[in-house]
Amino acid sequence: MSRLNPFAKLPGLNTASVLLVESEEHFQQSLAEALVEETSVTVNVRLAKSFPLPIENDESRPRIDLVVFIINLTSELSFQSAEASLKYLEPGYFLGKVCFMVTNARSSSVPAERLDAVRRLAASLHCPLLFAEEQTPEGVTNAAERLLTILKAAAGFVPFTTPLYLSNLTRCTLPPDIDQPSFD
Amino acid sequence: MYDTSKLLLQRLVRRIPTQMLKATLDKWGRLTVEQRQAMDFTQSKWALTQKLLSVCEENKLTLTHLAELEMIHAMENPNQGMWYTFQLLEPENDAQSVELTQFKQQFKCHLSELLRQMSVKIKKHTDEAVWIRIALGSSFSKPNHLKPTYVVHYLQTPYVFVRNLTSKLKPLLSQALTLATRHQGVKEANLSGRNLTSIRDLLMRQYQQVFPTKYHSPPEEEDQPVLNQHIEKEQGGVAAHRRHMAHQAFGDGMLPQLQSAVYMLDTKFRDPNNRTMTEREETFKCVVKFSSINLLESLRSCASSGIASAPVTPLLSSIPLKGRNYFVVTDNTPGPSSQGHQTQN
Repeated sequence: MSRLNPFAKLPGLNTASVLLVESEEHFQQSLAEALVEETSVTVNVRLAKSFPLPIENDESRPRIDLVVFIINLTSELSFQSAEASLKYLEPGYFLGKVCFMVTNARSSSVPAERLDAVRRLAASLHCPLLFAEEQTPEGVTNAAERLLTILKAAAGFVPFTTPLYLSNLTRCTLPPDIDQPSFD
Repeated sequence: MYDTSKLLLQRLVRRIPTQMLKATLDKWGRLTVEQRQAMDFTQSKWALTQKLLSVCEENKLTLTHLAELEMIHAMENPNQGMWYTFQLLEPENDAQSVELTQFKQQFKCHLSELLRQMSVKIKKHTDEAVWIRIALGSSFSKPNHLKPTYVVHYLQTPYVFVRNLTSKLKPLLSQALTLATRHQGVKEANLSGRNLTSIRDLLMRQYQQVFPTKYHSPPEEEDQPVLNQHIEKEQGGVAAHRRHMAHQAFGDGMLPQLQSAVYMLDTKFRDPNNRTMTEREETFKCVVKFSSINLLESLRSCASSGIASAPVTPLLSSIPLKGRNYFVVTDNTPGPSSQGHQTQN
């Protein structure tokens, strides 16, 4: 089983590469278009539905600086697909090069347990958890901006900051009352 | 039956939208030029009904004339009500040469032998379809024009589409149709829908199809032609393959609109996690119904987005292939109206 390795390749000059993994393949397209508009660095975006990635692309793929799992909270399949994809990443990625992005958290059809499960997953892996709103253009630009901040740190463009250091500050933490029943 | 005429006219005026009323009345052609000019279509429907009632009295129009008007409206708007399909079986040697006058004469003759009180109108539509309107009465009552049955048949094809068929009329209609079209039997074709044009297109394959090829062309076309050079899809090949399979099963462009597909399952329960149900001897009967505004379109996007498995299962692809939307699925018995496939839970 070939895993994705964060340090096996050399980085490109003034280039940051991000891999967006989404089971529905819906939000990743608009997010990618917002991300490539960044001018200070060249951003390469790779889109995937799930792991494992096709072996044919191994040679041509650049070094992936950040892996973002986009989870649609209204779909259980989305969460399970993201969870199943985690084992295809080398442990080196979990030192600040993985991020979780969640959409549709405000939808009333979302069971509370799913958001808790995503939180637990992100907290156990020490990864940041971002909430995004995909249906308006402002929501997409907002999500892209926040992702760019993390991407720049993960690709090494921020002086005196390593991705591990940033993830220590931004990682998801569980609220102390997560095991208490909610008031719905 | 003056009251029935009034009722029928009222219903017709209510049902026909005002924009189309003028055109339909002109097509009907039973009003004189002055009467047509005197009609003011900006009035309310009630006022229009009253005006038309007086016009009909002036021209001494009867129930049959009103039935004509209803038929004109039905032919202009075929996509209402629920249409059921029948298929004619075993054509005789001269079935291919049945033409309109012969069909009309034979059909009316056979039907009137079987029924005393009925009213039949046959008209040919511009697209080669023969429309038949049948109003049925009984031996004690006159034909009921408020609940007519419409039959649409394309000559030289074995397909018949029926709307509002009563159980009384069904055997008589079958007999008259088989004799008039020179076939030996008729059976239900298990296809129903609201849209007559769609079910006709589905059966006669008049929609854009993709034929299976061994070496299909490289995936290009509409898949984001102006894709940013910095954005790249990892699994683009897989997605294109899925899309190609979905298009092969369901066709390329606009698809005929079906509203539902029903599968009657009569198979053994199969689920490795549920021992009690799997161990039962009897078959598990259940009905699965898919409904949508445009069922084939939604099935195609399910297959191309990966929700349905990639080589489209024959249970779904036989909807356009066989032109049916009612299936009976049993275990391991390949029969004419059943599929020999095992279901997965």
